[in-house]
Amino acid sequence: MTRLKKNSLRSWSEEAGFKPTARTYSKFKKINGKHPFQRETKDSFVAYRARVRHGGKVVVFNFELARAMGLIPKGHPDKMTKDLEKAIVDTFAIVIINEYDQINKIKYPEKDIKPNFYMATRYLQLQHPNKQGKTSGDGRSIWNGCLETKNGIWDISSCGTGATCLSPATHIQKKYFQTGDPSISYGCGYAELDEGLATMFFSEILHKNQVTTERVLGVLKFPDGYAITIRVHDNLLRPSHMFNHLKQSNFDALEKVVNYYIDRQIKNGVWTDMPENAHARYDFFLEKQTEVFAKTAAKFEDEYIFCWLDWDGDNVLMDGGIIDYGSVRQFGLFHSEYRFDDQDRFSTSIIEQKNKAKYTVQNFAQIVDYLKTGERRSLKDFAQEPWSENFEKVFETAKLKNLLYKIGFKKEVRDQILERNCDLVQEFSKSFSYFERAKSVKGPKKVSDGINWDAIFCMRDILRELPQLYLSRGESIKRKEFLEILKSSYATEEDLLLSTYRKKKIDSFQDLYWQLVKTASSLQKITQNNVLLNLTMRSSIINKYDRVTGDSITTITDMMMEKIDNLSPDKLYSLLENFSEYQNLDPDTDKSLEKNQWQKSQLMRGFLQVVRDYREGL
Amino acid sequence: MNLVFYSGGSEEENIELDEECLSLLENNNPTLVFIPCSSYDGDYEFRDFVRHYQRFGISRFLYFPIDVPQDNVLLKEVFQSDLIHLGGGNTYYFLNTLRKRGYLSFLREYALEGGLLSGLSAGGILMTPNINTAGYPDFDKDDNEEDLTNFKAMNLVKFEFFPHYKNSVRYDRELRKQSLITKNPIYALPDGAGIIKTPRALQFIGKAWCFHQGLKTLINS
Repeated sequence: MTRLKKNSLRSWSEEAGFKPTARTYSKFKKINGKHPFQRETKDSFVAYRARVRHGGKVVVFNFELARAMGLIPKGHPDKMTKDLEKAIVDTFAIVIINEYDQINKIKYPEKDIKPNFYMATRYLQLQHPNKQGKTSGDGRSIWNGCLETKNGIWDISSCGTGATCLSPATHIQKKYFQTGDPSISYGCGYAELDEGLATMFFSEILHKNQVTTERVLGVLKFPDGYAITIRVHDNLLRPSHMFNHLKQSNFDALEKVVNYYIDRQIKNGVWTDMPENAHARYDFFLEKQTEVFAKTAAKFEDEYIFCWLDWDGDNVLMDGGIIDYGSVRQFGLFHSEYRFDDQDRFSTSIIEQKNKAKYTVQNFAQIVDYLKTGERRSLKDFAQEPWSENFEKVFETAKLKNLLYKIGFKKEVRDQILERNCDLVQEFSKSFSYFERAKSVKGPKKVSDGINWDAIFCMRDILRELPQLYLSRGESIKRKEFLEILKSSYATEEDLLLSTYRKKKIDSFQDLYWQLVKTASSLQKITQNNVLLNLTMRSSIINKYDRVTGDSITTITDMMMEKIDNLSPDKLYSLLENFSEYQNLDPDTDKSLEKNQWQKSQLMRGFLQVVRDYREGL
Repeated sequence: MNLVFYSGGSEEENIELDEECLSLLENNNPTLVFIPCSSYDGDYEFRDFVRHYQRFGISRFLYFPIDVPQDNVLLKEVFQSDLIHLGGGNTYYFLNTLRKRGYLSFLREYALEGGLLSGLSAGGILMTPNINTAGYPDFDKDDNEEDLTNFKAMNLVKFEFFPHYKNSVRYDRELRKQSLITKNPIYALPDGAGIIKTPRALQFIGKAWCFHQGLKTLINS
């Protein structure tokens, strides 16, 4: 039995009192294909007419995001009204009239054709035959528009809106494809429903955990089984939107895109202290991009997020946000040798992401120099410039801060410890890495979609239990106990041998941990017990036993797909909300228990079990 | 054996019960363990639990969610602690998990060997002979989503515990009916009230009613 709870914030009585008016969904009309980027350079997109795609139904809609955007009123309940569904379908159930349609003179009813053009943006993509980005970009997406409300500015694009001329298939097979052509999968221009749901669940969880990411506003499905996924971010530009122009030495287009990005960051309120001088603006741009990519690389590494960063700057947004969840994973352990097998090549590994991020910044350095001098020097010339040193510095500091966060220290304490005793944190970081990077004696092996070499220790478990045990005992734990807590299901007996070296490492880890506690105690002027207690409370949330992995998201999506016909948009949203809130491991969230005392459905209970079963995996 | 039953309610309503409970501790610097019904929100409940008991000068706490696998190190520490508190939640889920993981007998043994065991609502029901009280009345019962059929619990006392009781006709009708079919008395307590069971006495804090053989009696006011 539970304590009696207050009614939830959005109670039925409030919903009953909510009556949409003619203006309630009027903001949807602003999402009509027009986007300020279209005014910048014609070299950055291909413009398409679009028509109504009939039979669309809303599978799920992200009410919380829509309220945050100002797309629906802030008092709108989490309920799909008839008018809302109509607004969503009218706005987003579209398909482009592509080159195939035009060549074959396919006619569509005039009333179905949308008045404005929609853009498929051009950007560099490594899987394309042309390595300068002349033919690549949004292969099955278009940008629906840019919504500006009093809450902010958002880019909105949709995936699954038809085959564009920028898909790899078009250029590999040297022909235009009809949208929905069953002879090709990815190149057919449509998107799968399970992809959309997986992206929505994964991105919402990462968003709640302070990871910058695209978010999904909603998913629509059609009678042919395909879907459209609506993605939103405050700026959907990727580095690859600049790198194509850079590779092609298209100065004018590059200058316009960079200036557009800078102005947009200012308008979004992200960059507030931008100098006015043109050259100084570009220097500022480089400085910010260096910081963003150094911090992003550190975050990905420390949260075990595999995003396949590569030289094309395609799988990440300009602000380091995650985009395209197709290959994104979150590992349960530090599986630093995992590589995705993409048929003709292996992906980067999680630890190689840092160098890929750095390489991305090297491209930004080349861009800035090009824009300042009008001359495109070799990329190699920029490898050892000051930005590189700055990148390393920001990366290392971010890694140390992330580690202190994972231990459970609050922000002000993290800053103080780093300022007072950075050496100590660095020493602890080395000790931490020794265990985090330990691999099984069994060596590398094939996994379902690539290769891996199993990590054997679960650092989240030791960080969760250590402060509690220290608090209870007032002293370090035994070496065998340390390994007992730390070992993962991948560890064999041989992996867990207590060699002299490992004994030393365990002792050092515990000694350094205690030193951190003592430092915090002295800085905060509280007892060591109170420091340990604070760490206990925070790390039990940060390092919760259950944390989603890529495998668990895939399995959960499969479970949803089996029941999808019986899940209303409201029910699915409720699942999304509750599941992502359950996976919110941010100890600074003011999570009211009232809100989360949710009667778990059988499906939700299944989700929790999946998370548990796959928690150490890929 | 020392047991404390919390019916529910706010922190302020339970201050007296808390003080009585903590007075049973022999250790000046005790370790308190929080076992939530479910790990779903358990970490946040633990945070609230710690904040609450910190007010009494307690500084050593362990968090032990039981529906996730636990290593033996923490397990041993838990059963060497001074107080184990069982949180509220779905009683069927809680019992099923405790039984599946083998903790039900551990907890019983812990209490019989002198450990202080406290329970809030579902946690309190688990210390009684069975969890029947979680299954009625229809308008205020836990859902048996586990399809549990064995309702036997720790059997540490010879009474049944009905938390969140409201002194009203519709509750009384059901409790009177149930008291005719169960041999043990049913103690029904509103939020803010509790029971303390020590080897020497059975003490009620706040209002308490007893339903037995169809009769309702006010036993503490």
